[in-house]
Amino acid sequence: MIALDFACRLASFTLEVRARLVGPVTAVMGPSGAGKTSLLEAIAGLRRAQGRIAVGETVLHDDAGGVRLPPERRRVGYVPQDAGLFPHLTAGANVRFGARAERPRVDAAIEVLGIGGLLERRPHTLSGGEKQRVALARALATDPVLLLLDEPLAALDVGLRERIIPYLLRVREEWRVPMLYVTHNVGEALALAGEVLVLEAGRVRAQGPPADLLRVPALHTPDGLENLLRGRVTAVDEDGGVLRVEVEGGATVVSTWSPGRRVGDPVTLAVRAEDVLIAAETPRGLSARNVYEARVTSAERSGPDVLVRCALAPGPSSWLVRVTPAAADALSLRPGRPVWLAVKSHSVRCL
Amino acid sequence: MKILTGEEVEIVLFTLRMAALSTLVILAPAVLAAWGLARYRGPGKSVVETLLSLPLVLPPTAVGILLLELLARRRPLGEWLAARGIEVVFTWKAVLLATAVMSFPLLVRQARSAFEAVDPRLPALARTLGCGPWSAFFRVTLPLARRGVLAGTVLAFSRALGEFGATVLVAGNIPGRTRTLALAIFHESQVGRDDRALVLVGVTVVLAFAALWTAEWLDRRRARLLAA
Repeated sequence: MIALDFACRLASFTLEVRARLVGPVTAVMGPSGAGKTSLLEAIAGLRRAQGRIAVGETVLHDDAGGVRLPPERRRVGYVPQDAGLFPHLTAGANVRFGARAERPRVDAAIEVLGIGGLLERRPHTLSGGEKQRVALARALATDPVLLLLDEPLAALDVGLRERIIPYLLRVREEWRVPMLYVTHNVGEALALAGEVLVLEAGRVRAQGPPADLLRVPALHTPDGLENLLRGRVTAVDEDGGVLRVEVEGGATVVSTWSPGRRVGDPVTLAVRAEDVLIAAETPRGLSARNVYEARVTSAERSGPDVLVRCALAPGPSSWLVRVTPAAADALSLRPGRPVWLAVKSHSVRCL
Repeated sequence: MKILTGEEVEIVLFTLRMAALSTLVILAPAVLAAWGLARYRGPGKSVVETLLSLPLVLPPTAVGILLLELLARRRPLGEWLAARGIEVVFTWKAVLLATAVMSFPLLVRQARSAFEAVDPRLPALARTLGCGPWSAFFRVTLPLARRGVLAGTVLAFSRALGEFGATVLVAGNIPGRTRTLALAIFHESQVGRDDRALVLVGVTVVLAFAALWTAEWLDRRRARLLAA
């Protein structure tokens, strides 16, 4: 268990975290600039903090107890977003750089991450995914009590992400090292984490199992505000390139086909608030596959935009739609106004 | 026919020894000073930087006078040295001191910009991998800054080879004791032996060229080893 209770001054705000993480993998989520990387740096001892940080029985930092372990004595493996390999060393020398673990364990890390063939290579000749795996092996070789991963998959394209996740799962299963995993990707959080910690402007906004957190109707991600819809696959049309999903509340949402989904599978769909069209009348001849009758329940100013909350006619589910103030005026989007929502199946992502 | 007289060969060897020794003496302190300046962000940084660079812009003769003043017996340092029977002024030690002081800022400046170019997160990562601050410096920061440090070392050596103004004041121009190449060129030209002066100029050109070329070659070999 990881016990965090500390404050840390950043340039524009103070990061204040009080949380007990049971893991074994905790996904740290939240908008950019929420303090996620600073949280990892404070735990690793690379950023000055006030308070207490403990991993299991080991106290890494405790101002009251006068404990302030330097980074080299914390045994916390840190993998930054860009992997941070030492450019003057080969991949193998990087892996062995801080090796504290016994030889077979280091070899096992190399094997689990599938980098045996890369050891003689220089970091600049490695692909993004290879760099991440080497950096992860380097951290594992120090026999850490905690792994801190900062968006390890963010720099990779979707295909590569899906190939790395199994490696991370193997690390989780075979090493049993607790992990803090910063990600913007709901799918990764669902796949890896037993628990999600949501940070916003340096504060913990929410904490809990991913399924619970994904029950919230919308989530801030770097892609913007996303509507999250939980449901079950009712039809798979690979030739037509679409999936039909019955979401909670009864509406059917058509999303683009995604590999490996079968009828009956539970899925979570994400739709960006910007990608939803609002029409004042029944739209006709639209290419969008998803058209729903709804009613405006609230319209609030949010920065330069207006966030409109709409309840679907058939059921309890509600959608957030982001429009410009001009559009809100033109359509007189006020509570009670009946509207139609339209979304292209391409704007519906299957997480 | 020999190009150089026996005496001139002595001068060349003496100059090389002094330049090499002075570079060796300043290497560690200059690299540490450069590292400190690159890392330190606080009040007084620009003052220290300016002070360290001062010998670069002051007339070397001014530095020479300051050194003489510092070594004078009425000053604490001069007194301390005299009490231990250590003669500096007008000896090879004065040559060493003058060349070291004059080339120190060159090495610091070069090495500092090399250290500043190192991504500070890399040594920080080395710390999380179990390295203490010094170990992180020697295993990550210094290897990553080696090109700049090497270039600075060669510059410092070349500067030491050619140092004149400060040397002539602190060490004099004593044949067989403190006369370096630069001093010998001046001397030959003063006494009207321009042909000998020209020969010595040729030697300094060859030495400086060799030093710079060696640095370049070392750098390329490293690059090749890195690429391999």
